[in-house]
Amino acid sequence: MKNIKIYSTPTCVYCKMAKEFFKKHNATYTEHNVAEDDAAREEMINKTHQLGVPVIDIDGEVFVGFNRSELEKALGVK
Amino acid sequence: MYDLVIIGGGPAGVAAGVYAARKKIKALVIAENFGGQSVVSAGIENWIGAKSLSGFDFARNLEEHLRAQEDLEIMDGDRVVRVQKNANYFLIATAQGKTIETKTIFVGSGSRRRTLGIPGEKEFNGKGVAYCATCDAPIFKNKDVAVVGGGNAGLESVRDLIPYASKIYLLNRSAELKGDALTQEKIRASEKVEIILNAVTKEIYGDNSVSGFKYTDTKTGAEKDLAVSGVFVEIGSLPNTDFLKGIVELNNFGEMIIDHKTQSSSIPGIWGAGDVTDVLYKQNNISAGDAIKAVLNINDYLHKKK
Repeated sequence: MKNIKIYSTPTCVYCKMAKEFFKKHNATYTEHNVAEDDAAREEMINKTHQLGVPVIDIDGEVFVGFNRSELEKALGVK
Repeated sequence: MYDLVIIGGGPAGVAAGVYAARKKIKALVIAENFGGQSVVSAGIENWIGAKSLSGFDFARNLEEHLRAQEDLEIMDGDRVVRVQKNANYFLIATAQGKTIETKTIFVGSGSRRRTLGIPGEKEFNGKGVAYCATCDAPIFKNKDVAVVGGGNAGLESVRDLIPYASKIYLLNRSAELKGDALTQEKIRASEKVEIILNAVTKEIYGDNSVSGFKYTDTKTGAEKDLAVSGVFVEIGSLPNTDFLKGIVELNNFGEMIIDHKTQSSSIPGIWGAGDVTDVLYKQNNISAGDAIKAVLNINDYLHKKK
């Protein structure tokens, strides 16, 4: 089982797409809403220097944005 | 050999696909993704028949409507990179190396964001340089930011940032903001907003992420510098016509020049609709309607040829 974290905002479409993608592949993830959760926002910025969502962490490998083919590779699905 | 290849998965491409299927045209849709540029919109309130829907739902509705068509082929996740005209058919090449033969082409490839093209923009993409205020505004909570572009998209970005950022500079190239008066009024009412006119952005800099940018005041010629954590770029769009250069006539903006009665391009066999064309108003509803005009005209053309 892979450890998947997604940093998101409620208004971000690509975050929604990423979450639907994980659901479709029965991959469980923990979501951190960086619009509300100040600690998660700081963690995301400090860990990745990213100031845009979604930021996705799959077993320590960080993905920025929603790139379906990259995530398919990371999950080992297609 | 297809009768028609439809390029694009926005409102134009999907409307063309639905009508092509209903006319029993042997057609293929090539779409990198669905929904067009509205996909990032938090709420679309002018798509006729839906009081309000998110860009996400808009895209999903379009995709579902397209996939519900029988006998319509769909190639998604791929992109057209070249079109070649042969004696009486066209050859299309895709990014993933496929070649496709077709009698006619409908172009609904839309447009993409224009970028500043200045030092620092690429390096700090996602690290302070942002293109979607709807998505990313909350990340700039209590931070100073800049928005480049005084059109509607720029003004809306400022509006999205007001609840979060501590200070928002709005930079506009000319002496006057172009966006809607009503939105201008709203953002001027916020003490957080400072509008800087006659400003040309020169460079974005930082360390791990953006810490500031430089711009020129075109009135005085003075070089200025502002410390910010984010720069949102909203300076319009560019039509996706690279694969059509040298094939059909394009205007100075790179848009396909079309006959607005039939949507046909400068050469027989290629039609277009939506933001990729020289249509005066870039709107989802217009793109869909114009695409339908095109397909009906393509249907007539195919029947005449038989």
